[in-house]
Amino acid sequence: MLKYWYEHKTTDSPHPTVCLSARPYDQAPVKKYDAIVVGAGPAGSSAAYFMAKEGMDVLLLERGAYPGAKTCGGSAVIAEHTHKLFPNFWDELDYERIVTDQAYWFMTEDSILSTGFRSNKLAAAPFNRFTVRRPNFYKWLAHKAAEAGATLLLSHNATEALFDGKQAVGVKISAPQNCYYLADIIILADGVNSMLAERAGLAPRVSPLNLSLYVKETISLPAETIEERFNLLPGHGSTIGLIGYPTAGFNGTGAIHLYKDAISLNVGMSVGDFAKSGLRPHDLLDRLKKHPLMQPLLKGGVVEEYGGSMIPEGGYNAVPKLVHPGLLITGDAASLVNGVHGYNLAMWSGYFAAQAAYAAKKARDFSVKKLSLYRTLLNESFVMQDLKANAGAAALQRDIPYMFDLYTRMANEAAFHSAKVYTMPKRARRVFIFKKITSMQPVLKIIRDVWKTLKVVR
Amino acid sequence: MSDLENAVQLIHFQPDEGWQHVIIAEQDLCKNCQGKPCLTICPSGVFAWNNCDSDPVLVFYKQCVECGACRLICPYENIAFAFPHGGYGVAYRQG
Repeated sequence: MLKYWYEHKTTDSPHPTVCLSARPYDQAPVKKYDAIVVGAGPAGSSAAYFMAKEGMDVLLLERGAYPGAKTCGGSAVIAEHTHKLFPNFWDELDYERIVTDQAYWFMTEDSILSTGFRSNKLAAAPFNRFTVRRPNFYKWLAHKAAEAGATLLLSHNATEALFDGKQAVGVKISAPQNCYYLADIIILADGVNSMLAERAGLAPRVSPLNLSLYVKETISLPAETIEERFNLLPGHGSTIGLIGYPTAGFNGTGAIHLYKDAISLNVGMSVGDFAKSGLRPHDLLDRLKKHPLMQPLLKGGVVEEYGGSMIPEGGYNAVPKLVHPGLLITGDAASLVNGVHGYNLAMWSGYFAAQAAYAAKKARDFSVKKLSLYRTLLNESFVMQDLKANAGAAALQRDIPYMFDLYTRMANEAAFHSAKVYTMPKRARRVFIFKKITSMQPVLKIIRDVWKTLKVVR
Repeated sequence: MSDLENAVQLIHFQPDEGWQHVIIAEQDLCKNCQGKPCLTICPSGVFAWNNCDSDPVLVFYKQCVECGACRLICPYENIAFAFPHGGYGVAYRQG
Protein backbone atom coordinates (compact mmCIF):
# COMPACT_ATOMS: atom_id res chain seq x y z
CA MET A 1 0.00 0.00 0.00
CA LEU A 2 2.88 2.35 0.76
CA LYS A 3 4.26 1.81 -2.72
CA TYR A 4 1.16 3.41 -4.15
CA TRP A 5 1.98 6.69 -2.50
CA TYR A 6 5.29 6.92 -4.28
CA GLU A 7 3.76 6.79 -7.70
CA HIS A 8 2.14 9.89 -8.93
CA LYS A 9 1.17 10.64 -12.42
CA THR A 10 2.90 13.34 -14.32
CA THR A 11 1.98 14.76 -17.66
CA ASP A 12 4.28 16.81 -19.79
CA SER A 13 2.00 19.06 -21.71
CA PRO A 14 -1.58 20.17 -21.40
CA HIS A 15 -4.10 18.27 -23.40
CA PRO A 16 -7.05 20.26 -24.62
CA THR A 17 -10.10 19.64 -22.49
CA VAL A 18 -12.50 21.42 -24.73
CA CYS A 19 -12.00 22.44 -28.29
CA LEU A 20 -13.85 25.68 -28.65
CA SER A 21 -15.71 24.58 -31.73
CA ALA A 22 -17.76 22.42 -29.38
CA ARG A 23 -18.94 25.07 -26.96
CA PRO A 24 -19.48 24.16 -23.32
CA TYR A 25 -23.13 23.95 -22.43
CA ASP A 26 -23.80 24.59 -26.10
CA GLN A 27 -24.10 28.32 -25.57
CA ALA A 28 -22.13 31.49 -26.01
CA PRO A 29 -19.72 32.62 -23.32
CA VAL A 30 -21.10 35.13 -20.87
CA LYS A 31 -18.27 37.58 -21.50
CA LYS A 32 -14.65 37.86 -22.50
CA TYR A 33 -12.31 39.48 -19.99
CA ASP A 34 -8.67 40.48 -20.13
CA ALA A 35 -7.98 38.07 -17.31
CA ILE A 36 -9.82 35.57 -15.17
CA VAL A 37 -8.58 34.75 -11.71
CA VAL A 38 -9.87 31.53 -10.16
CA GLY A 39 -10.03 31.82 -6.38
CA ALA A 40 -10.43 34.92 -4.22
CA GLY A 41 -7.81 33.99 -1.69
CA PRO A 42 -4.62 35.90 -0.94
CA ALA A 43 -3.00 34.97 -4.25
CA GLY A 44 -6.08 35.46 -6.40
CA SER A 45 -7.26 38.70 -4.86
CA SER A 46 -3.76 40.17 -5.04
CA ALA A 47 -3.43 39.23 -8.69
CA ALA A 48 -6.85 40.66 -9.45
CA TYR A 49 -6.12 43.85 -7.53
CA PHE A 50 -2.87 44.62 -9.30
CA MET A 51 -4.25 43.82 -12.72
CA ALA A 52 -7.35 45.91 -12.12
CA LYS A 53 -5.20 48.80 -10.96
CA GLU A 54 -3.48 48.74 -14.34
CA GLY A 55 -6.85 49.12 -15.95
CA MET A 56 -7.31 45.51 -17.00
CA ASP A 57 -10.80 44.04 -17.13
CA VAL A 58 -10.53 41.28 -14.53
CA LEU A 59 -12.96 38.60 -13.44
CA LEU A 60 -12.32 37.22 -9.95
CA LEU A 61 -14.17 33.98 -9.32
CA GLU A 62 -14.82 32.51 -5.89
CA ARG A 63 -16.71 29.26 -5.33
CA GLY A 64 -17.61 30.12 -1.74
CA ALA A 65 -20.50 32.32 -0.68
CA TYR A 66 -17.88 34.84 0.49
CA PRO A 67 -14.08 35.01 0.31
CA GLY A 68 -12.59 32.84 3.04
CA ALA A 69 -15.62 30.55 3.30
CA LYS A 70 -13.64 27.61 2.04
CA THR A 71 -10.52 27.67 4.12
CA CYS A 72 -9.53 27.60 7.74
CA GLY A 73 -6.50 27.72 9.99
CA GLY A 74 -5.32 30.16 12.61
CA SER A 75 -3.26 32.64 10.80
CA ALA A 76 -0.89 35.51 11.07
CA VAL A 77 -0.13 38.09 8.42
CA ILE A 78 3.50 39.12 8.02
CA ALA A 79 3.52 42.88 8.16
CA GLU A 80 6.43 43.94 6.00
CA HIS A 81 5.59 41.74 3.06
CA THR A 82 2.00 42.87 3.11
CA HIS A 83 2.89 46.53 3.71
CA LYS A 84 5.08 46.60 0.62
CA LEU A 85 2.14 45.51 -1.50
CA PHE A 86 -0.63 47.26 0.41
CA PRO A 87 0.85 50.21 2.28
CA ASN A 88 -0.52 50.77 5.77
CA PHE A 89 -2.91 47.86 5.37
CA TRP A 90 -3.33 47.75 9.13
CA ASP A 91 -5.49 50.85 8.95
CA GLU A 92 -7.96 49.03 6.73
CA LEU A 93 -7.82 45.41 7.81
CA ASP A 94 -9.82 44.16 10.77
CA TYR A 95 -6.93 42.28 12.35
CA GLU A 96 -7.08 40.53 15.68
CA ARG A 97 -3.92 41.24 17.66
CA ILE A 98 -0.52 42.79 17.04
CA VAL A 99 1.98 40.01 17.57
CA THR A 100 4.63 41.04 20.04
CA ASP A 101 5.49 37.57 21.24
CA GLN A 102 6.71 34.73 19.08
CA ALA A 103 7.56 31.46 20.70
CA TYR A 104 8.16 27.77 20.16
CA TRP A 105 7.09 25.22 22.69
CA PHE A 106 8.79 21.85 22.53
CA MET A 107 6.38 19.60 24.34
CA THR A 108 6.43 16.15 25.87
CA GLU A 109 3.55 14.57 27.78
CA ASP A 110 4.35 16.47 30.91
CA SER A 111 6.84 19.19 30.09
CA ILE A 112 7.37 22.15 27.82
CA LEU A 113 10.72 23.58 26.80
CA SER A 114 9.95 27.01 25.46
CA THR A 115 11.96 29.48 23.52
CA GLY A 116 10.43 32.78 22.74
CA PHE A 117 11.02 36.41 22.14
CA ARG A 118 8.76 39.27 22.99
CA SER A 119 9.28 42.94 22.50
CA ASN A 120 7.09 45.99 22.57
CA LYS A 121 9.10 47.31 19.64
CA LEU A 122 7.09 44.87 17.54
CA ALA A 123 3.97 46.74 18.53
CA ALA A 124 4.87 49.85 16.61
CA ALA A 125 4.69 50.48 12.87
CA PRO A 126 5.78 48.91 10.62
CA PHE A 127 4.98 46.01 12.97
CA ASN A 128 6.01 42.43 12.43
CA ARG A 129 2.92 40.24 12.38
CA PHE A 130 -0.79 40.46 13.00
CA THR A 131 -3.11 37.61 13.84
CA VAL A 132 -6.19 37.59 11.64
CA ARG A 133 -9.31 35.53 11.19
CA ARG A 134 -9.18 34.24 7.67
CA PRO A 135 -12.59 35.41 6.47
CA ASN A 136 -11.75 38.97 7.57
CA PHE A 137 -8.44 38.90 5.76
CA TYR A 138 -9.81 37.31 2.61
CA LYS A 139 -12.82 39.62 2.51
CA TRP A 140 -10.63 42.70 2.92
CA LEU A 141 -8.33 41.66 0.09
CA ALA A 142 -11.13 40.64 -2.28
CA HIS A 143 -12.92 43.89 -1.49
CA LYS A 144 -9.78 45.82 -2.43
CA ALA A 145 -9.66 44.00 -5.74
CA ALA A 146 -13.30 44.82 -6.36
CA GLU A 147 -12.74 48.46 -5.45
CA ALA A 148 -9.86 48.60 -7.89
CA GLY A 149 -12.26 47.54 -10.62
CA ALA A 150 -12.18 43.76 -10.68
CA THR A 151 -15.49 41.96 -11.09
CA LEU A 152 -15.88 39.70 -8.08
CA LEU A 153 -18.33 36.84 -8.58
CA LEU A 154 -19.10 34.77 -5.51
CA SER A 155 -20.61 31.28 -5.47
CA HIS A 156 -19.07 30.65 -8.87
CA ASN A 157 -17.31 27.31 -8.99
CA ALA A 158 -14.87 27.05 -11.89
CA THR A 159 -14.43 23.39 -12.73
CA GLU A 160 -12.27 23.38 -15.84
CA ALA A 161 -9.97 25.58 -17.79
CA LEU A 162 -10.89 25.78 -21.46
CA PHE A 163 -8.30 25.47 -24.16
CA ASP A 164 -8.00 26.25 -27.83
CA GLY A 165 -5.28 23.81 -28.73
CA LYS A 166 -2.70 24.39 -26.02
CA GLN A 167 -3.67 27.97 -25.32
CA ALA A 168 -5.83 28.59 -22.27
CA VAL A 169 -8.80 30.68 -23.26
CA GLY A 170 -11.39 30.50 -20.54
CA VAL A 171 -13.00 28.70 -17.63
CA LYS A 172 -16.15 26.67 -17.27
CA ILE A 173 -18.48 27.33 -14.35
CA SER A 174 -20.45 24.50 -12.77
CA ALA A 175 -24.01 24.51 -11.52
CA PRO A 176 -25.92 26.53 -10.53
CA GLN A 177 -24.72 28.99 -13.15
CA ASN A 178 -23.67 26.49 -15.85
CA CYS A 179 -21.89 29.00 -18.03
CA TYR A 180 -18.40 29.87 -19.14
CA TYR A 181 -16.15 32.89 -19.51
CA LEU A 182 -13.29 33.63 -21.85
CA ALA A 183 -10.10 35.57 -21.23
CA ASP A 184 -6.65 36.12 -22.66
CA ILE A 185 -5.04 35.13 -19.40
CA ILE A 186 -6.20 32.66 -16.79
CA ILE A 187 -4.63 32.87 -13.36
CA LEU A 188 -5.17 29.84 -11.15
CA ALA A 189 -5.28 30.65 -7.46
CA ASP A 190 -7.62 27.85 -6.49
CA GLY A 191 -5.73 26.53 -3.54
CA VAL A 192 -3.93 23.40 -2.51
CA ASN A 193 -6.33 21.09 -4.35
CA SER A 194 -6.05 22.78 -7.69
CA MET A 195 -8.46 20.66 -9.64
CA LEU A 196 -8.20 22.94 -12.63
CA ALA A 197 -4.48 22.50 -12.98
CA GLU A 198 -4.68 18.76 -12.48
CA ARG A 199 -7.63 18.24 -14.77
CA ALA A 200 -5.95 20.13 -17.56
CA GLY A 201 -2.82 18.09 -17.15
CA LEU A 202 -0.85 21.18 -16.22
CA ALA A 203 0.26 19.93 -12.87
CA PRO A 204 0.68 16.41 -11.61
CA ARG A 205 -1.79 15.08 -9.10
CA VAL A 206 -0.65 16.26 -5.69
CA SER A 207 1.05 13.61 -3.63
CA PRO A 208 -0.07 12.74 -0.09
CA LEU A 209 3.58 12.93 0.89
CA ASN A 210 3.72 16.60 0.02
CA LEU A 211 0.59 17.69 1.75
CA SER A 212 -0.22 18.16 5.39
CA LEU A 213 -3.67 18.03 6.88
CA TYR A 214 -4.33 20.51 9.65
CA VAL A 215 -7.32 20.78 11.94
CA LYS A 216 -8.12 23.74 14.07
CA GLU A 217 -10.52 24.99 16.66
CA THR A 218 -11.35 28.56 17.52
CA ILE A 219 -11.93 28.71 21.25
CA SER A 220 -13.41 31.89 22.58
CA LEU A 221 -12.31 33.49 25.81
CA PRO A 222 -12.64 37.07 27.06
CA ALA A 223 -9.85 39.37 25.91
CA GLU A 224 -8.74 40.13 29.46
CA THR A 225 -8.46 36.43 30.25
CA ILE A 226 -6.25 35.85 27.23
CA GLU A 227 -4.06 38.80 28.13
CA GLU A 228 -3.77 37.56 31.68
CA ARG A 229 -2.94 33.97 30.81
CA PHE A 230 -0.41 34.83 28.15
CA ASN A 231 0.90 37.90 29.95
CA LEU A 232 0.19 40.41 27.24
CA LEU A 233 -0.73 44.05 27.02
CA PRO A 234 -4.20 44.77 25.63
CA GLY A 235 -4.21 44.42 21.87
CA HIS A 236 -0.97 42.50 21.80
CA GLY A 237 -0.83 38.86 20.85
CA SER A 238 1.30 35.76 20.52
CA THR A 239 1.99 33.16 17.92
CA ILE A 240 3.32 29.97 19.40
CA GLY A 241 4.61 26.99 17.44
CA LEU A 242 4.02 23.66 19.14
CA ILE A 243 6.42 20.83 18.44
CA GLY A 244 6.63 17.28 19.69
CA TYR A 245 3.69 16.07 21.75
CA PRO A 246 0.99 17.54 19.46
CA THR A 247 1.79 15.17 16.63
CA ALA A 248 2.06 11.99 18.66
CA GLY A 249 5.42 10.77 17.50
CA PHE A 250 5.20 11.99 13.93
CA ASN A 251 6.75 15.03 12.33
CA GLY A 252 4.33 17.88 12.18
CA THR A 253 3.41 21.00 14.07
CA GLY A 254 0.76 22.70 16.05
CA ALA A 255 0.21 26.36 16.68
CA ILE A 256 -1.54 28.80 18.89
CA HIS A 257 -2.63 32.12 17.46
CA LEU A 258 -4.22 34.60 19.78
CA TYR A 259 -7.22 36.51 18.55
CA LYS A 260 -8.89 39.43 20.32
CA ASP A 261 -11.29 37.20 22.17
CA ALA A 262 -10.39 33.71 21.10
CA ILE A 263 -7.54 31.26 20.89
CA SER A 264 -6.97 29.55 17.58
CA LEU A 265 -5.41 26.15 18.13
CA ASN A 266 -4.31 23.94 15.29
CA VAL A 267 -2.30 20.78 14.72
CA GLY A 268 -1.38 18.81 11.67
CA MET A 269 0.95 16.44 9.96
CA SER A 270 1.48 14.88 6.59
CA VAL A 271 -1.46 13.14 4.96
CA GLY A 272 0.72 10.09 4.41
CA ASP A 273 1.48 9.91 8.13
CA PHE A 274 -2.19 10.17 9.05
CA ALA A 275 -2.96 7.25 6.80
CA LYS A 276 -0.03 5.21 8.09
CA SER A 277 -0.94 5.78 11.69
CA GLY A 278 -4.71 5.62 11.47
CA LEU A 279 -4.87 8.63 13.76
CA ARG A 280 -7.92 10.80 13.43
CA PRO A 281 -7.12 14.47 13.01
CA HIS A 282 -9.64 15.56 15.59
CA ASP A 283 -8.20 13.13 18.13
CA LEU A 284 -4.84 14.86 17.84
CA LEU A 285 -6.47 18.17 18.59
CA ASP A 286 -8.43 16.73 21.48
CA ARG A 287 -5.33 15.18 22.95
CA LEU A 288 -3.49 18.46 22.69
CA LYS A 289 -6.25 20.30 24.49
CA LYS A 290 -6.08 17.79 27.32
CA HIS A 291 -2.34 18.22 27.87
CA PRO A 292 -1.84 19.14 31.54
CA LEU A 293 -0.05 22.37 30.64
CA MET A 294 -2.52 23.36 27.92
CA GLN A 295 -5.64 22.87 29.99
CA PRO A 296 -5.14 25.88 32.24
CA LEU A 297 -4.69 28.08 29.19
CA LEU A 298 -7.95 26.91 27.63
CA LYS A 299 -10.02 26.66 30.79
CA GLY A 300 -13.46 28.16 30.43
CA GLY A 301 -13.08 28.52 26.70
CA VAL A 302 -15.99 27.77 24.41
CA VAL A 303 -15.29 26.13 21.08
CA GLU A 304 -16.75 28.36 18.38
CA GLU A 305 -15.72 26.49 15.29
CA TYR A 306 -13.81 23.46 14.08
CA GLY A 307 -12.34 22.82 10.68
CA GLY A 308 -9.69 21.14 8.57
CA SER A 309 -7.60 22.14 5.59
CA MET A 310 -4.62 20.84 3.71
CA ILE A 311 -1.41 22.78 3.30
CA PRO A 312 1.14 22.10 0.58
CA GLU A 313 4.42 21.32 2.27
CA GLY A 314 6.43 19.79 -0.51
CA GLY A 315 8.43 22.95 -0.91
CA TYR A 316 10.54 23.85 -3.89
CA ASN A 317 10.64 20.35 -5.33
CA ALA A 318 6.88 20.14 -5.43
CA VAL A 319 6.35 23.35 -7.36
CA PRO A 320 4.77 22.44 -10.72
CA LYS A 321 5.36 24.17 -14.00
CA LEU A 322 3.92 27.62 -13.34
CA VAL A 323 3.80 29.22 -16.77
CA HIS A 324 1.61 27.81 -19.51
CA PRO A 325 0.23 29.29 -22.71
CA GLY A 326 -2.23 31.87 -21.44
CA LEU A 327 -2.23 30.50 -17.90
CA LEU A 328 -0.30 31.13 -14.68
CA ILE A 329 -0.45 29.22 -11.41
CA THR A 330 -0.13 31.09 -8.11
CA GLY A 331 -0.34 30.60 -4.37
CA ASP A 332 -1.08 27.23 -2.77
CA ALA A 333 -2.01 25.86 -6.17
CA ALA A 334 1.64 26.38 -7.07
CA SER A 335 2.82 24.83 -3.79
CA LEU A 336 4.26 28.19 -2.78
CA VAL A 337 4.37 27.61 0.95
CA ASN A 338 7.57 27.75 2.96
CA GLY A 339 7.18 26.82 6.61
CA VAL A 340 4.92 29.44 8.15
CA HIS A 341 5.07 31.58 5.04
CA GLY A 342 1.92 31.09 3.04
CA TYR A 343 0.05 34.37 2.82
CA ASN A 344 3.04 36.43 1.82
CA LEU A 345 4.21 33.99 -0.84
CA ALA A 346 0.67 33.81 -2.17
CA MET A 347 0.22 37.59 -2.29
CA TRP A 348 3.57 38.20 -3.91
CA SER A 349 3.01 35.46 -6.45
CA GLY A 350 -0.31 37.11 -7.27
CA TYR A 351 1.47 40.45 -7.64
CA PHE A 352 4.12 38.99 -9.95
CA ALA A 353 1.50 37.18 -11.98
CA ALA A 354 -0.35 40.47 -12.39
CA GLN A 355 2.79 42.15 -13.66
CA ALA A 356 3.44 39.40 -16.16
CA ALA A 357 -0.20 39.47 -17.25
CA TYR A 358 -0.15 43.22 -17.78
CA ALA A 359 3.06 43.05 -19.79
CA ALA A 360 1.52 40.30 -21.91
CA LYS A 361 -1.63 42.31 -22.48
CA LYS A 362 0.29 45.40 -23.54
CA ALA A 363 2.28 43.34 -26.03
CA ARG A 364 -0.79 41.29 -26.98
CA ASP A 365 1.40 38.25 -26.57
CA PHE A 366 0.06 35.55 -24.27
CA SER A 367 2.63 32.93 -25.01
CA VAL A 368 4.74 31.07 -22.51
CA LYS A 369 7.74 33.15 -23.53
CA LYS A 370 6.08 36.43 -22.69
CA LEU A 371 4.41 35.16 -19.53
CA SER A 372 7.69 33.73 -18.26
CA LEU A 373 8.23 37.12 -16.73
CA TYR A 374 6.16 35.67 -13.88
CA ARG A 375 8.66 32.91 -13.21
CA THR A 376 11.58 35.29 -13.57
CA LEU A 377 10.10 37.68 -11.03
CA LEU A 378 9.48 34.81 -8.64
CA ASN A 379 13.01 33.49 -9.07
CA GLU A 380 14.57 36.86 -8.39
CA SER A 381 12.53 37.47 -5.29
CA PHE A 382 12.55 36.04 -1.80
CA VAL A 383 9.72 33.73 -2.89
CA MET A 384 11.76 31.28 -4.88
CA GLN A 385 15.05 32.00 -3.21
CA ASP A 386 13.76 31.07 0.21
CA LEU A 387 11.85 28.09 -1.11
CA LYS A 388 14.95 26.87 -2.87
CA ALA A 389 17.06 27.38 0.25
CA ASN A 390 14.68 25.15 2.19
CA ALA A 391 14.16 22.69 -0.61
CA GLY A 392 15.44 19.80 1.37
CA ALA A 393 13.15 20.35 4.33
CA ALA A 394 10.30 18.16 3.13
CA ALA A 395 12.62 15.31 2.25
CA LEU A 396 14.46 15.73 5.54
CA GLN A 397 11.24 15.25 7.45
CA ARG A 398 10.57 12.06 5.55
CA ASP A 399 14.15 10.94 6.01
CA ILE A 400 14.10 11.41 9.76
CA PRO A 401 10.51 10.55 10.67
CA TYR A 402 11.20 10.66 14.38
CA MET A 403 12.99 13.99 14.25
CA PHE A 404 10.51 16.29 15.95
CA ASP A 405 9.46 13.80 18.56
CA LEU A 406 12.80 12.36 19.61
CA TYR A 407 14.78 15.56 19.68
CA THR A 408 12.03 17.32 21.55
CA ARG A 409 12.16 14.58 24.15
CA MET A 410 15.91 14.80 24.35
CA ALA A 411 15.84 18.55 24.73
CA ASN A 412 13.21 18.31 27.43
CA GLU A 413 15.16 15.58 29.18
CA ALA A 414 18.33 17.66 29.15
CA ALA A 415 16.42 20.70 30.33
CA PHE A 416 14.79 18.73 33.13
CA HIS A 417 18.06 17.48 34.46
CA SER A 418 19.62 20.90 34.10
CA ALA A 419 16.79 22.54 35.95
CA LYS A 420 16.69 19.98 38.71
CA VAL A 421 19.18 20.52 41.48
CA TYR A 422 21.07 17.38 42.31
CA THR A 423 23.42 16.61 45.13
CA MET A 424 26.00 15.32 42.68
CA PRO A 425 28.75 17.77 41.68
CA LYS A 426 28.13 19.86 38.55
CA ARG A 427 30.72 18.07 36.49
CA ALA A 428 29.25 14.72 37.33
CA ARG A 429 25.84 16.07 36.48
CA ARG A 430 26.99 17.12 33.03
CA VAL A 431 28.29 13.65 32.39
CA PHE A 432 25.02 12.27 33.73
CA ILE A 433 22.98 14.43 31.34
CA PHE A 434 25.21 13.51 28.43
CA LYS A 435 24.77 9.82 29.21
CA LYS A 436 21.00 10.27 29.51
CA ILE A 437 20.77 11.99 26.15
CA THR A 438 22.98 9.55 24.35
CA SER A 439 21.02 6.68 25.81
CA MET A 440 18.04 8.03 23.87
CA GLN A 441 19.95 8.26 20.62
CA PRO A 442 23.49 7.12 19.82
CA VAL A 443 25.98 9.97 19.41
CA LEU A 444 26.82 9.13 15.83
CA LYS A 445 23.16 9.21 14.87
CA ILE A 446 22.76 12.57 16.57
CA ILE A 447 25.73 13.92 14.65
CA ARG A 448 24.38 12.51 11.41
CA ASP A 449 20.94 14.01 11.97
CA VAL A 450 22.35 17.39 12.93
CA TRP A 451 24.54 17.37 9.85
CA LYS A 452 21.61 16.51 7.62
CA THR A 453 19.56 19.29 9.17
CA LEU A 454 22.29 21.88 8.83
CA LYS A 455 22.65 21.07 5.16
CA VAL A 456 18.98 21.75 4.63
CA VAL A 457 18.43 24.77 6.82
CA ARG A 458 20.46 27.46 5.19
CA MET B 1 -16.33 9.82 18.15
CA SER B 2 -19.00 11.92 19.76
CA ASP B 3 -16.35 14.58 20.43
CA LEU B 4 -15.94 14.77 16.70
CA GLU B 5 -19.67 14.91 16.18
CA ASN B 6 -19.90 17.83 18.59
CA ALA B 7 -17.11 19.61 16.79
CA VAL B 8 -18.70 19.08 13.40
CA GLN B 9 -21.96 20.53 14.72
CA LEU B 10 -20.16 23.84 15.07
CA ILE B 11 -19.32 24.12 11.41
CA HIS B 12 -21.63 26.07 9.18
CA PHE B 13 -22.67 24.36 5.97
CA GLN B 14 -24.89 25.17 3.04
CA PRO B 15 -25.87 21.61 2.14
CA ASP B 16 -26.66 20.81 -1.47
CA GLU B 17 -29.64 18.50 -1.32
CA GLY B 18 -29.61 18.08 -5.06
CA TRP B 19 -26.06 16.99 -5.74
CA GLN B 20 -23.47 14.92 -3.91
CA HIS B 21 -19.97 16.24 -4.50
CA VAL B 22 -17.97 13.41 -2.97
CA ILE B 23 -18.83 9.80 -3.73
CA ILE B 24 -17.33 6.36 -3.60
CA ALA B 25 -17.03 5.39 -7.22
CA GLU B 26 -17.25 1.62 -6.84
CA GLN B 27 -18.45 0.20 -3.55
CA ASP B 28 -17.17 -3.25 -4.51
CA LEU B 29 -13.58 -2.04 -4.40
CA CYS B 30 -14.03 -1.08 -0.76
CA LYS B 31 -14.61 -4.72 0.14
CA ASN B 32 -10.98 -5.45 -0.68
CA CYS B 33 -9.64 -2.51 1.24
CA GLN B 34 -8.04 -3.59 4.49
CA GLY B 35 -7.02 -0.28 5.99
CA LYS B 36 -9.93 1.92 4.85
CA PRO B 37 -7.95 5.06 5.67
CA CYS B 38 -10.86 7.23 4.58
CA LEU B 39 -12.68 6.28 7.76
CA THR B 40 -10.02 7.82 9.97
CA ILE B 41 -8.42 10.59 8.00
CA CYS B 42 -11.48 12.67 7.26
CA PRO B 43 -11.44 15.63 9.65
CA SER B 44 -15.23 15.75 9.73
CA GLY B 45 -16.07 12.06 9.66
CA VAL B 46 -17.75 11.95 6.28
CA PHE B 47 -17.02 8.27 5.76
CA ALA B 48 -18.65 5.70 8.02
CA TRP B 49 -18.76 1.94 8.00
CA ASN B 50 -20.25 -0.53 10.41
CA ASN B 51 -17.57 -3.19 9.90
CA CYS B 52 -19.97 -5.45 8.06
CA ASP B 53 -18.57 -6.61 4.73
CA SER B 54 -21.99 -6.71 3.19
CA ASP B 55 -22.70 -3.11 4.09
CA PRO B 56 -21.41 -0.20 2.06
CA VAL B 57 -19.19 2.60 3.24
CA LEU B 58 -21.47 5.55 3.82
CA VAL B 59 -20.59 9.04 2.66
CA PHE B 60 -22.09 11.87 4.68
CA TYR B 61 -21.14 14.45 2.12
CA LYS B 62 -23.10 17.24 3.71
CA GLN B 63 -20.56 17.50 6.52
CA CYS B 64 -17.58 17.57 4.20
CA VAL B 65 -15.16 20.43 4.81
CA GLU B 66 -13.67 19.96 1.33
CA CYS B 67 -10.10 19.47 2.45
CA GLY B 68 -9.51 16.87 -0.26
CA ALA B 69 -7.54 14.41 1.87
CA CYS B 70 -9.83 11.47 1.10
CA ARG B 71 -9.27 11.63 -2.62
CA LEU B 72 -5.53 11.35 -2.12
CA ILE B 73 -5.54 8.70 0.55
CA CYS B 74 -7.77 6.08 -1.01
CA PRO B 75 -5.50 3.19 -2.04
CA TYR B 76 -7.84 2.36 -4.92
CA GLU B 77 -8.37 5.94 -6.07
CA ASN B 78 -11.97 5.11 -5.55
CA ILE B 79 -13.19 8.41 -4.16
CA ALA B 80 -14.51 10.80 -6.74
CA PHE B 81 -14.09 14.17 -5.10
CA ALA B 82 -15.20 17.42 -6.67
CA PHE B 83 -15.92 20.73 -5.08
CA PRO B 84 -19.57 21.43 -4.34
CA HIS B 85 -21.53 23.66 -6.64
CA GLY B 86 -21.03 27.37 -6.27
CA GLY B 87 -22.13 28.68 -2.89
CA TYR B 88 -22.72 25.25 -1.37
CA GLY B 89 -20.68 23.25 1.10
CA VAL B 90 -18.70 24.46 4.05
CA ALA B 91 -18.75 28.15 4.97
CA TYR B 92 -16.22 28.88 7.68
CA ARG B 93 -17.20 31.81 9.83
CA GLN B 94 -14.10 32.12 12.01
CA GLY B 95 -11.64 30.70 9.54
